[in-house]
Amino acid sequence: MDDVTRQIITRRRFLQLTAVSAVAVACGPSAGGSSSPSSGGSAPAGGSAPAGGSGGAPSGGAVTGTINVSYPDEAGLKPKYVEQAAAALKAQFSGADVKIDLQKVGDDDFYTKLLLALDSGTGPDVFHVGGSSIGELADASYIEPLDNYISQWADWSQYPDSVRSGVTYKGSVWAIPYGLDMRWLYYRKDDLQKAGLPADWQPANVQGILDAATAVKNANEANVLPYALYAGPAGSSGTADHAFVPLLWAYGGELQDSSGKWIGDSPATKKVMAYYQKAYNGLSPKEILTSTKPWTAMREKLGNGQLALLFEGGWVYGGWASANKAATEQNIGYVLHPTESGGPSFTIGGPGTCWYISSKSANKQGAWEFIKAMNTAEIVGKLNAEDPHPVARKDAADVAEFKASKYNVDATAALEKAKFVPPDPGYSKVIEAIQKATARVAAGELGPDDAAKRYTDDLTQALGADKVTSQ
Amino acid sequence: MAVAARGRLGRNRLYLAGLSPAAFLLALFFVGPALWAVGSSFTNRALVGLDAANPRFVGLDNYARLFSDPDFGRVILNSVIFVIGSAIIGQFVLGLLLALLLDYAQRRGFLASNLVYGAVLLAWVNPTIIAGFLWVAMFDFYNGSLNTGLSVVGAPPVNWLGQGPMLAVIIANTWRGTAFTMLIFLGALRTIPSDIYEAARVDGASAFRRFWDHTLPILRPIAALTLLSVTMATFGTFILIQTLTNGGPAFQTEVIALYAFHEAFQNHAVGYGSTISVVMLALNLAFAVVFLRWSRARA
Repeated sequence: MDDVTRQIITRRRFLQLTAVSAVAVACGPSAGGSSSPSSGGSAPAGGSAPAGGSGGAPSGGAVTGTINVSYPDEAGLKPKYVEQAAAALKAQFSGADVKIDLQKVGDDDFYTKLLLALDSGTGPDVFHVGGSSIGELADASYIEPLDNYISQWADWSQYPDSVRSGVTYKGSVWAIPYGLDMRWLYYRKDDLQKAGLPADWQPANVQGILDAATAVKNANEANVLPYALYAGPAGSSGTADHAFVPLLWAYGGELQDSSGKWIGDSPATKKVMAYYQKAYNGLSPKEILTSTKPWTAMREKLGNGQLALLFEGGWVYGGWASANKAATEQNIGYVLHPTESGGPSFTIGGPGTCWYISSKSANKQGAWEFIKAMNTAEIVGKLNAEDPHPVARKDAADVAEFKASKYNVDATAALEKAKFVPPDPGYSKVIEAIQKATARVAAGELGPDDAAKRYTDDLTQALGADKVTSQ
Repeated sequence: MAVAARGRLGRNRLYLAGLSPAAFLLALFFVGPALWAVGSSFTNRALVGLDAANPRFVGLDNYARLFSDPDFGRVILNSVIFVIGSAIIGQFVLGLLLALLLDYAQRRGFLASNLVYGAVLLAWVNPTIIAGFLWVAMFDFYNGSLNTGLSVVGAPPVNWLGQGPMLAVIIANTWRGTAFTMLIFLGALRTIPSDIYEAARVDGASAFRRFWDHTLPILRPIAALTLLSVTMATFGTFILIQTLTNGGPAFQTEVIALYAFHEAFQNHAVGYGSTISVVMLALNLAFAVVFLRWSRARA
């Protein structure tokens, strides 16, 4: 009895607890709210007053004040080059300072954070995101056109027309790329050989990929997944660029018609959906639909032989090669994407991750000087040797570290067979519709024809009926 | 008369002064954002693209789009299943049962009761994101504890999150939230003096009758409030599901709060995301009004 009464909370105690928790709840969000913008990128106003302003900078476009640089890197290959560029800039302009904000998060998370900062006017001066975002960033007036800067930059002549067109939107250049994107169909020579296929395997057509995957499955090797085909929102943009889009092109389809309308349901779309249905009928693991960043696990598995077939970015090869170069060269093969009828194979190209200047930057000249320092032939060559992409500027291909690798030479040659995703700001909405459509088939909710029809509906919902057609 | 009115005003003024900090905080952190969301739901505001540079007033377009959205029905159904499964059956009923058991055990001084109490509480004091990752570690296909356990006994791995995604998130949310209901019921149970039960026992009442005639009526007002708060909190859950399945596979665990988040911050359509959260707010308000009326009528 005594025990029970003692445990009853008195009214005063209750009020104390309530007050304490109310204060805690109230302080939580407000403290978080005020601290987050400053961590996302500091206020440009603070950097506008040059410290001292002693005029120590050399003549000819003196750069002073702070330059805020923000970029994501999970792999950890870029920081030393960013530091190198910052040091070079500070050595050239004594009145300038570079504040580097390295975000060790995925590109998607970085992009959302960056957009929120840009929307609230607290973004960095320079940032580093995918070139596929140029259209939507320019339309939102978040980025500065670089035409006036590149016209006075002799090095711009090193960038081939194909690269320039990848960063051009509405007649202006908006970003500077360092390495281009291309993709390979990777395969494990050891796994395929155990399934009775040759080490220099080459699929005759699209069906050849599924046939090889089936052979691996039937070989019943312990702990070997036959094939990974990205699907659903969990696959992020890889669901489009590493799976749906190459398949669509392989089946003779197109993303847009000649008038620029996005194509929903079409014979090729139905064939892609049917391909997905076959792949998810025991060949490709369904965990792709629910795991966070499924590509992390899939890349790792291909690297250690637990996955036999994967269409992925060319840069992924760098991760395997840096872990074990000899084993990678011995066991991992790469080929272009086959087509339905055995026509010329191809790859998917893109401008890669680029450097941008914020339109609201208070130090645009400084921002441009940083971009120049970051994109010298030396840094571009060395960075792409470590983080393998075909180099964006021609003279960087002559950097010894880059030339030394056969893989880099192959990847650069493959770019000639690349098809590029249209630089249309609507593409990110199309990716969402692709994610929904592929998830529906992969999870077994809809058959190929119904999924293709729903793809038209989803596109119409997201983009408006006037921008969508079906064939 | 005048004196009485002044006295009432004076008393009210004191109440108002006492309420004003809470009212201010509510206005700042709830009413303000809610009004912002309502305003934003009538625009095509976006985080990127043309609509980010020039947001326009679009009237009820977003609402028309939402109600013709073929996924929205699915999302509502998912939310209802999730609330019934994890809030009502899971947290509420399980929490009540746990509280009854613990109360019984503690009144008899069983030492293990403190252990159980601590274990349930531990699940609750974790931040949601950590609770989410704990369950990812449990369910993960390749390295999860469940599949590791299966492989030890020679059984093939199971794709827990793929085959029973809704059940998986319901279990995780129940595990996480049961402590709250349990704590409240335990507090309420302790206010019931033991003599009532002793008297009932002397009268020959069975355990069930003692529960039905004495425990339940005393718990009812608290049960009503608990059910309301648990239901509304669960309706708004998204971090836990985001961590476990992120709404997948193919919308099978996409609940309304997650849908709003995905539209606003993954698809960067802030206006449309706001529309979804306004509908969510309206559903919550409607539920609260109906529920409070109902519980008052019963009391």
